[in-house]
Amino acid sequence: MKKLGILIACGAGLLMSALPVFAHHSFAAEYDASKPIELKGRVAKVEWTNPHARFYIDVKDANGKVTTWNFELASPNVLSRNGWTRHSLQEGDEITVQGSMAKDGSNLANARTVTLASGKKVFAGSNTDSDGK
Amino acid sequence: MKKCLVLAALAVVSLGAQTTPSAAQNKVAPAGGSVDVATATGPAIPRRRAPERVKGPTPHLADGTVDLSGVWQGGGPIGDIAQGMPKGAVIPMTPAAEKIFKSRQSKDDPEANCLPTGVPRIAPYPWRIVQTPTHVFFLFEGNIHSFRQIFVDGRKHPDDPDPTWYGHSIGHYDGDTLVVDTVGFNDKFWFDFAGHPHTEQLHTVERYKRTDLGTMVVETDITDPGAYTKPFTISFTFNMRPKEELMEYICQENQVDAQHLVGFTGIN
Repeated sequence: MKKLGILIACGAGLLMSALPVFAHHSFAAEYDASKPIELKGRVAKVEWTNPHARFYIDVKDANGKVTTWNFELASPNVLSRNGWTRHSLQEGDEITVQGSMAKDGSNLANARTVTLASGKKVFAGSNTDSDGK
Repeated sequence: MKKCLVLAALAVVSLGAQTTPSAAQNKVAPAGGSVDVATATGPAIPRRRAPERVKGPTPHLADGTVDLSGVWQGGGPIGDIAQGMPKGAVIPMTPAAEKIFKSRQSKDDPEANCLPTGVPRIAPYPWRIVQTPTHVFFLFEGNIHSFRQIFVDGRKHPDDPDPTWYGHSIGHYDGDTLVVDTVGFNDKFWFDFAGHPHTEQLHTVERYKRTDLGTMVVETDITDPGAYTKPFTISFTFNMRPKEELMEYICQENQVDAQHLVGFTGIN
């Protein structure tokens, strides 16, 4: 079990560090792949918009203070082509999200995986197939 | 930790990391690639749909013209124009162009601000080629939902075209290859995330060759004495998306990224 835990931890680390994201902007200029983040919170708002879908979650700390975080997803088109719908994530959902933190220190991150309260995980990454070299 | 490092090494190998010769000269950025996220994180996550590959001979229209129509993805630089050059090749920038290149910041990339990619840059979204006897259109899903038009009716370039994001394009068929000659560019777009510049003297010649049903190769000659000491050629291979349709993508709708971009341009 411990080995499995290590493997999962390594896998998560790899996911954060090795994945580039192709979008209309440079991923490396906006997010730090070496700074993974995992937060649990309540979805406050979902924006099914271009160039990126976004959601905002309210995260409560040990003292009860609530901080709102903005998570960037792929474009709705990329998400749709990978099985998402605009209903996949709803306001009020309790979720756990993993991603990469913004470089500028704001409460912004790029979402990689989202785990719903039901335990179902959904792929959230922004990278599309980049055919050709 | 050692196990992590081993896994990391395996992952890097499996990613098939792209070479980044020119950006590596001046700006530090990680290599690109892609990974099957579902495999990396466990079976509970929906698998990213693999693009369908189609096989078959190069198709032709009734009059014998090569048929280039359909939805495609790829076909130009995204992160670094050097990715379309042989490994180790150096982009022959003039000192003035190199100064601009080194000073550029990602927040100023026109594409990040929902402005067009220009030529030969491509956005990482599907696009469609539409052929008529007189015009060829490139319809872009990303790249702010814009289009290129290529005149294949035998006309010449205007003597003094207004500088534009896509320039003035005329084309002709050479066997199974569409040859596109473009002048009249503005100097506003970047060639890539890395920030390679150009001037209004830019002249491109693109050769689109459909090598089989599912594959296209485009070679582009880039001539710009205002920014490069000699012409150079880039080459990209890209693939058809037979079951895709273009979808709406209005980049200006909710663009909030550019103000968060920090520092030197990365290529990813």
